[in-house]
Parts: sequence; C-alpha cells; structure tokens
Amino acid sequence: MRYIATFHSLFGAVSFKNKLTKLGDDPVMMPVPRALSASCGTCVAFTRPFDESTMYEEDMDKVVRDEDGTYTVVFENV
Amino acid sequence: MKNKQTLLIVIAGLVVGCAAVVLTANGNPGNMGFCIACFLRDTAGALGLHRAEVVQYVRPEIIGLILGAFIMSVFSKEFAAKGGSSPMTRFVLGFFVMIGALMFLGCPLRMVLRIAGGDLNAVVGLVGFACGILCGVFFLKNGFTLKRTYTLNKLEGMWLQIIAAALLVVLVLVPSVLIFSEKGPGSMHAPLFLALACGLVVGMLAQKTRLCMVGGIRDAFLFKDFYLLYGFCAILVAALVGNLVMGKFNLGFAEQPVAFNDALWNFLGMALCGLASALLGGCPLRQLILAGTGNSDSAVTVIGMVVGAAFCHNWGLASSANGPTANGKIAVIVGFVVVICIALANMRKEKV
Repeated sequence: MRYIATFHSLFGAVSFKNKLTKLGDDPVMMPVPRALSASCGTCVAFTRPFDESTMYEEDMDKVVRDEDGTYTVVFENV
Repeated sequence: MKNKQTLLIVIAGLVVGCAAVVLTANGNPGNMGFCIACFLRDTAGALGLHRAEVVQYVRPEIIGLILGAFIMSVFSKEFAAKGGSSPMTRFVLGFFVMIGALMFLGCPLRMVLRIAGGDLNAVVGLVGFACGILCGVFFLKNGFTLKRTYTLNKLEGMWLQIIAAALLVVLVLVPSVLIFSEKGPGSMHAPLFLALACGLVVGMLAQKTRLCMVGGIRDAFLFKDFYLLYGFCAILVAALVGNLVMGKFNLGFAEQPVAFNDALWNFLGMALCGLASALLGGCPLRQLILAGTGNSDSAVTVIGMVVGAAFCHNWGLASSANGPTANGKIAVIVGFVVVICIALANMRKEKV
C-alpha cells in the first residue's frame, strides 16, 4: 500500500517531496496515473500515512490511498 | 495496467498518424493532415478575423477534436468544469504559442507530421521545441505556477463546445456567411464529414490517453517516463509508413510543402512555442482536448491562439514558403521577452 498526492503545480510536488524526505520517507515524483485523473500533472508517491497537520502543502490537490490500483481519497484541498 | 495504457497510447498515436495521411490524401495540404495552429488560423480567417485570402476555411478537424474530447469525457464521467488559474496570463501565453508556431509554420503535431514527410527543417524545429520545453521545465522546477484551478458552473466549462457545435451548424447549413479561400492552403481540404470524423476519433483518443507533444518531452526530462513519448513516436511511425506507401515522402530541406528552410527561425519559432506551451502545461492539441473536457482555462488559451493567429496575418507576422518576415522575427523576440517576464512574475518566492 502507498499514498499518492496530486498537485496544482510541479513546484508544489517538489516542495512536498522535499518535506517528506526530511521526515524520513522515500518519496517518488511521477506523472499522475491515468486512472486517477484525466488531466496531466505531477504527483508524489509515498509510504508514510498522510497527516494533514505535518504534511499539508498549499498547492496540494488531493491525497489518495493506493491499494493495488484501487484509490481511496483521504484528503481533498477544496 | 501500465502496459495496457502504453498499448492504448501507441494505438492512439498510430490512428492519429494514419488519419493525418488519409486527410492529406483526400485534400489537406502536404504534411498537414492535422495542424492545430494552421487550422485555428484558417478558422479565424473564415470568420473574417484576418484577411489573408489563402488561409481561410473552417476546419472541421478542430470542431471534431473539441467535440470528440467532450463526448469521451461525458461517457467516462470525467467532464468537469474547472478554471480560474490565471486565465488572462494563459490567453497571452496562447497568443505567443501561435506567434511561435506560425513562425515555424506548424504546431508540434504538424512538426511530427513534417518529419514523417521527410522535411528536415522540422527536425531543426524539434530541437528548438525540446530546448523551449527544457527552459519551461527549469521555470516549473524553480517555482513557476499559474495557481490552482477551481470547480465552476457546468456551463462555464461548455462554451467552447457550444461554439464548436454552432460553427458546425453554420458550416453545414449556411456556409455563405463564412469566407473560404479559393487558392492556397486554405482551399485545400478533405471532405467535410471525413475531416469531422477524423477529428472526433482523434479527440476521443487524445482525451482517453492524454496524448500531448509537450508532456511527452517534459515527462521524459523530468521523470524518465516515456509513456506520452510513445504516442509521439507512434504518430511519426504511422505517418512515415503512410507517406512512403503513398509516395509522399521527400527527404530534404528544400521544396517541402508549406515550409521554409531558414534553420535559425525554424528553431526559434518552435523554441517559443515549446517554452510557452510548457508553462501552459500542454501543447495546442492538449489545450483543445482539455477545453473539450470542461477546462475553461484551456478554452481561454485556445481563444488566445485564435487571436494570435489573426494578428499573425493582419500584421504580417506569419511566415510563408518564402521564409519568415521581418515583422515575424520581431514578434518572436518580443514573444520570448514577454513569456520570460510571465515566467519570472509567476515564481513562488520561497525556497524548497
């Protein structure tokens, strides 16, 4: 199982990736999976359970839990 | 899952390449089965937005692309009216995408089709395009953002589709109100319903696969992810084979259809197009597709491209087979200055 965070900008994804690295995770930046969105963009895949208080990023769109390609939204930045 | 998606984009690319060859064989200008820049320019001319008599025709392919993407997004429940991400900045970027594309004489999609036809000037354009995208990626990585999009009223995401449908009705029922070229590239076109059908199919496939010329190079640079690039290559292979079979392959720099062989301005035109498109997040084809799926920011970008096309011909900025114009060269330089200013003005301040 992993988490995937999508962003409104590449810069947001880079910021989030750096934040996770400092928290001790091993995040991976990649294009947003097609099954997750029709729009193209950048996402960050990570393993640390999402905690809004320490991991929130201004440009964040949403965070999903990825269980073998089944996505469950755990956070949405409305 | 990933292999299935890769197979789908390869099939989509092959279909786009074949459709381009079929459209050319049925009347479209050479190496111009699809060209978003040229076709928006022709449509602007048909509506009287510019008076260049040789490039005026409502291209059904454009209507098909928008409506095809719309239909696919509705069926797959992915239609979403969104916008509010710096629309006027996107308008200006769209304007300069067109200035760059009409300097080169083609959008990124036509660039691939020109390479497939043996036009080596387009290889120079490809190098410029990749350099422009690399510059765009530099800005993106260092904080460039046009800010987030917001969910909007459904109607807000449907105006370009409504305009496209209305244009189709006018084209079929009252074409006399439109202006059609009697000579030149605008007079060369495939039959209306064939062009519309090709546009619809390509629009659907592009929505499903996220086919994008800019995204392919951007993702390869950024993530070593070649998914979108496979589509790019498939278009090239299909059109190349099609051109060889049809006897339309002509390798060289000289005597290429609707093209000129000034390397510097082919390079700079596509570099400007690539840079502005990277900042927009997609090539002209992708902007049409996103607009069709309800993205009003992309619809504004398309309108920016149409206005840019009108200015290109009203002010003598567009190149021709004779080469670039002095006004066009100035416009491309101004374009670089404006686009770089936009990039710098939209950088987030904090370091990461």
